[in-house]
Amino acid sequence: MKNIIINIAKYTLIVLMIVSCGEWEYSVPEVSPGLKNDCINHSLGPNVVGQYIEFAYAMAIKPEEGKLATATVEASIAGAEGTYLDHKSYYTNGSGVNVGVEVGNSSTTSGNKTTVTFTADTCAATLRYYYKIPEEARGKDVSFTFSASASNGEKVQYEMGPYKVREMDLKLDLIAKDGSTCYISVADMAVYDATAAASNPERIDLIYLHRSVPGVTFNHSIVSPTSDAQYRPGLELSSGLHNKSKLIKAWNIQDRQLARMQYGVFVDDVDLKNMNFNDAPDYIINMRPESGLWVETENGKYRAYIFINKVDNAKKEITFSIKRLQVN
Amino acid sequence: MKQYILLFLTMTSFLIVVTRCADYPIDEDGLLITDRAECYVSNFDLLGTDFQTARTAAPAIDTTAQTINIEVFFGTDLKNLYPQFTLAQDAKLDPKITGKEDFSDLTNPKKWTVISGNRKVRKTYTVYVTVQQPS
Repeated sequence: MKNIIINIAKYTLIVLMIVSCGEWEYSVPEVSPGLKNDCINHSLGPNVVGQYIEFAYAMAIKPEEGKLATATVEASIAGAEGTYLDHKSYYTNGSGVNVGVEVGNSSTTSGNKTTVTFTADTCAATLRYYYKIPEEARGKDVSFTFSASASNGEKVQYEMGPYKVREMDLKLDLIAKDGSTCYISVADMAVYDATAAASNPERIDLIYLHRSVPGVTFNHSIVSPTSDAQYRPGLELSSGLHNKSKLIKAWNIQDRQLARMQYGVFVDDVDLKNMNFNDAPDYIINMRPESGLWVETENGKYRAYIFINKVDNAKKEITFSIKRLQVN
Repeated sequence: MKQYILLFLTMTSFLIVVTRCADYPIDEDGLLITDRAECYVSNFDLLGTDFQTARTAAPAIDTTAQTINIEVFFGTDLKNLYPQFTLAQDAKLDPKITGKEDFSDLTNPKKWTVISGNRKVRKTYTVYVTVQQPS
């Protein structure tokens, strides 16, 4: 009995060795005939009017079957000026740099359609599509039909979307300067000097100031016109400024669209809608680079997130970017 | 041999049943009541709405007088601060901190009671907040 078991084990071992040493031959997969296409969306974060939605559209056909003729993108809502389909196909070189190879004419846009006609004798390309979100798309869904045609008459298409366009607005790199363009309007997403502020006091929601106050850390601060005088030392207010904006200090919210940094953080419509401004103060002291503040205007019409991109102690100025939502 | 195995299994089963039925007391919050009688605050902080500390220096914690004195930066929004206690092991706080607290009424300082791990010692701490002022 014992011998039988030992023999079975031996034979099993031999069989296993033979089987495990078998070679599996690899062969390049056979591509099925016809024109093929694929598409990916490059963009991250909320789609905001004035910003781009980026796509990469790839198309290919076997060389013996033909070559690429045209690539077209049709948007459900016509893109704003600046929408284009790149006429270069890119590859990444050894240094990690994207290098474009021109494969066709510059794109032409007619209504909702943007087209590139291939001029290079190529059977494969990946074109980038940049859709600049128009005002008409605000709050709506937008979708895209990518299509390609080949010299043999074949056509393919690829549907992308729908993508929701947000209600919010976005403005980058406004500069507020102490004693000069220090009056900030959330309603206009703009900065004004004292003269302009005095002529439009109802539109001024915030004031920027920089102070060096002994014994405390004051530095770069943003206050409402109604804030207590101790939080705006030495500031002579233009007459008529009366808005009491509510402010909430924030840190670690480096919104990617505002900061243009490596962080994957996005402030969206829903964040602004859900923010609770009860008991929020009307001043914020000591703003630092990469800090932020949530704002609600006095009339409750606008809510915004302001990101501090840069501060300059010598010039007494800040560079900030803003996302603003009309809530009422 | 078979008898020994059976006997061993029976005894093991009996021991498992006895030990797993041991009664560990828990309080009304579902927290374990232990033997520890220590009851004190070892550290305290106040965080602003940006979740950054608002204190200018380490707080003065008097475990005898049961007071905490803390100074916050000039301009701190006293109505929206998150208190953060560090307590003796197994101790808990009453009332519980569930979010922001309003410290703006400086004449009526807020109080919290520390309850020891054995739930038999209670000490009420008063938190005095002062605001840094320009010199």
